[in-house]
Amino acid sequence: MSVIAPRKALSLGEIAREQGVVIIIALLLLGLSFASDSFLTPRNLLNIFNQSAPLAIMASALTLVIIGGGFDLSTGAIFGVAAVTAGWIAIHVDPYLAIVAGPLIGLVLGTVNGAIITAFGVHSFLVTLATSLVYRGIAILMTDGKLIPVRIAEFAWLGRTKMGMVNVAVIVMLVFMVLMMFLLNRTTFGRAVFAVGGNEEAAILSGIRTRLIKILTFALSGAAAGLAGVITVSRISMAEPQAGAGLEFEAIAAVILGGTSIMGGAGAVWRSVAGVLLMALIGNGFNILNVNPFFKDLTTGVIIVIAVALAASGRRR
Amino acid sequence: MKKLVLAALAGTMLVPISALAQSDKPVRVAFLAASSQNGYNDATWQGVQQAAAELGNVEAEIFDGQFNASVQFSQVEDIIASGRFDAIVVAPNDTVGIATALEDAVKAGILVGSVLFPVGPDLTVMEPQVPGLTVTVAQNPKTGAIAQAEAVAEFCKDKDPCNTVMFMGQKIYPFDNLRYEAQMEVLSQHPNIKILATGEGNYSPDTSLAAMSDILQAHSEVDVVVGTADQHLAGIEIALEDAGLEIEPIYLIGGGLNQITVDAIRAGRYDATLSQNPKSEGYLAAKALIEVARGGTSPTWIDPSASIENPLIVTTDWLKAHPEFTAEWEG
Repeated sequence: MSVIAPRKALSLGEIAREQGVVIIIALLLLGLSFASDSFLTPRNLLNIFNQSAPLAIMASALTLVIIGGGFDLSTGAIFGVAAVTAGWIAIHVDPYLAIVAGPLIGLVLGTVNGAIITAFGVHSFLVTLATSLVYRGIAILMTDGKLIPVRIAEFAWLGRTKMGMVNVAVIVMLVFMVLMMFLLNRTTFGRAVFAVGGNEEAAILSGIRTRLIKILTFALSGAAAGLAGVITVSRISMAEPQAGAGLEFEAIAAVILGGTSIMGGAGAVWRSVAGVLLMALIGNGFNILNVNPFFKDLTTGVIIVIAVALAASGRRR
Repeated sequence: MKKLVLAALAGTMLVPISALAQSDKPVRVAFLAASSQNGYNDATWQGVQQAAAELGNVEAEIFDGQFNASVQFSQVEDIIASGRFDAIVVAPNDTVGIATALEDAVKAGILVGSVLFPVGPDLTVMEPQVPGLTVTVAQNPKTGAIAQAEAVAEFCKDKDPCNTVMFMGQKIYPFDNLRYEAQMEVLSQHPNIKILATGEGNYSPDTSLAAMSDILQAHSEVDVVVGTADQHLAGIEIALEDAGLEIEPIYLIGGGLNQITVDAIRAGRYDATLSQNPKSEGYLAAKALIEVARGGTSPTWIDPSASIENPLIVTTDWLKAHPEFTAEWEG
């Protein structure tokens, strides 16, 4: 006779860590719905998803990097390189090729990050800080610091076309998020990512090729940044070398907001995407309510502190 | 006695400059760009180089301020310490903070000219706020903002209400607040002009797109959008299109007069933009400093808009009448 062990009830701390970001989103949704009739409409909610798509893609892949014990400060710069390269290719070669080229360039640059980190044993924080300067320099050199207008219908397809009410970019974001969730939770690779981030020495002793796992996480992060860059250029029909500047911090903030441990070994992709949506909700609410922008940063900061504190309290208990 | 000593000291420091008037030594000009990787600053640098080439025997060098006030401050200190330059053209990242460093440069006998903004606490005072500053080549920021608002008032004169969305760069920037307040002062005199919302564009098409998309969720009827910068219009236009609004009847006015915007106005997508002339600014500032270094004189304030062919607000009609016109910077 088999005995099924009863599932252990989650403690308040665990609920705070697991669902903190969802609770805050729910409270924000409620508050903003009362504050403005324009907020809780399908059009506005889709608008929020559409605006968040590039950052959500970056945060999804970055989650794997951080769970694996790494840190990627170069995603904003990779976003910039991919953006200007895609813009150039769209104008001078082929618009469809440009859409494919962005993620591929990101994949290569991310692989370079991973290769340097593992080859020299330097902390990923330092390596990606350095490569971000190199990559941003490449983007600026490619354009001379100028904007590149890319008003090509075939290229704008990715960023601006809708399928029904939903933007293609949102569908791409959802597909990418599900792919990252699948990789992390349903494959050997995903289990290895958790193992490397949780205890690298134990992972090595278990026969996991930790270097390869790390390189793969950075490659995915780079590809995601490249894809995000292409979506953005395609949407605004303008490639700019400074595109994506600061986005790396927003992506990191979203991942941490989602309760992923900055020490590695624990986290979830969907919660990082929820972190992105939380930040987007704040911006959207402020714009709709026409509130003084000074309060936006203040509110965003306070909410991040609350969410991070909730997640930390969950880990302490 | 103290004054005598200071005067003697100042006289000694000025020797290298006045000596240039009689010598064959080149005039060495440093251009402190707010950022060297920026289209506007690149055009200013082209203007500096043009003045150097025209006047001859001038060595010009660019410094990258990286949009960082501290970096630019250090660059001034380095220039003073090195003694390598006779003149500085600065596009200030921080108009107040850089003042003390530039004062030291003036005391060290280096000629200083400012472009785009005046240096000092008051952005509307174009006469030198730093003692000894040779020239400011800039337009009073209020003048342009008022001209933009007056263009809106003219468009709105037969509309009631005239639903208007304002876009500023960032509320943390003093010059953005100054422009915004000047615009609102004019617009508030027209009761038919209804300000629906004010967005922050942060001089980025992407940020402007997101902000305008949000604003359109609450306000679907828009007659006018005022962007501080042309970069804002690029994002605003996409947001309007995505919301299914017809662009042509909406009055879109920006600021900067780059070539991308000129092309968009000619194509009928935008309506007008505030003229800014970075190449002229660089040219006029460098020319003034070089001439003073060679014993000549210069006015302490040069308004670049006085020496250019286009009007302050460049419109579709004006561009139609001037098909040969090209902007001073690409964008």
